[in-house]
Amino acid sequence: MASLTKSLRYAALFKPLSVLIPRATTTGLFHTLNMRETNLNIASLQTTELKPVGCMRSYSEKAPLTLDLIEQRVLLVLRLYDKINPDKLKVESHFMQDLGLDSLDHVEVIMAMEDEFGFEIPDGDAEKLLRPQDIIRYVADKEDIYE
Amino acid sequence: MSYLQTEIISHARKVCSLYKRSLRNLESWYDRRPMLRYRAVLLRARFDENKDVKDLRVAQQLLDEGEKELFSLIHYQPKKFTYSPGGVAYEREVAPPDWVLDYWHPMEKAAYPEYFARREQRKKEYIEWWEKTYGKPTEPSH
Repeated sequence: MASLTKSLRYAALFKPLSVLIPRATTTGLFHTLNMRETNLNIASLQTTELKPVGCMRSYSEKAPLTLDLIEQRVLLVLRLYDKINPDKLKVESHFMQDLGLDSLDHVEVIMAMEDEFGFEIPDGDAEKLLRPQDIIRYVADKEDIYE
Repeated sequence: MSYLQTEIISHARKVCSLYKRSLRNLESWYDRRPMLRYRAVLLRARFDENKDVKDLRVAQQLLDEGEKELFSLIHYQPKKFTYSPGGVAYEREVAPPDWVLDYWHPMEKAAYPEYFARREQRKKEYIEWWEKTYGKPTEPSH
């Protein structure tokens, strides 16, 4: 009998801490303790091993824009457009005269800008935006950015 | 685009507008990008087919047919930009117009003397600029 208890004790020593052995307890107190133990284990695992999930709330706010950032985004969109040669592209280059686009290509460019910045550009304004510079200026005016 | 036309719109711009609306309509119908690109290329090819039409009567007829076709294919729930007419946040926040400041009570204005002094100065400058660019306003004859 004594040897049996001894071996049980050894077994208790050797079992890994994180593995939980279901205990047949009838009292609620032990049960809740058990539950707390599991919760604690899961929490400690998450904090040590898993990356914490980003908890910044943005309330559907846009990314902060600056004139530089607008310029980069406009030029990136234009560079990715297959009818524009990225080597020729400059901020001051004219879409029709320098880059050789036609008016329907220009419509596509304006639509890409709408998608990029998330607001509609009416036709009357769109026909005046003939250089990347104009687009940058227009977006900055629309978003109230002056520096 | 405003609903009331106040200027003469050229034929080229009408075609561009039709092209843009057709593309946006396709975007509403096809949510998968490859299929959308395929349809967009087909649409562009149809526009490019008739780009050298010099006879304005034929061009006008083509434009009318295009408008009719777009009307028959229009999406029942088109995608809209957030702040455009029909968008979810259109006119959600109403910015008070600038002239509201002119109707402040003098006691309220007195709380910001520097600002309102500069505002009056700006108004005078604006009137000056207007008269220089457009001429003096004429008295109505009636």
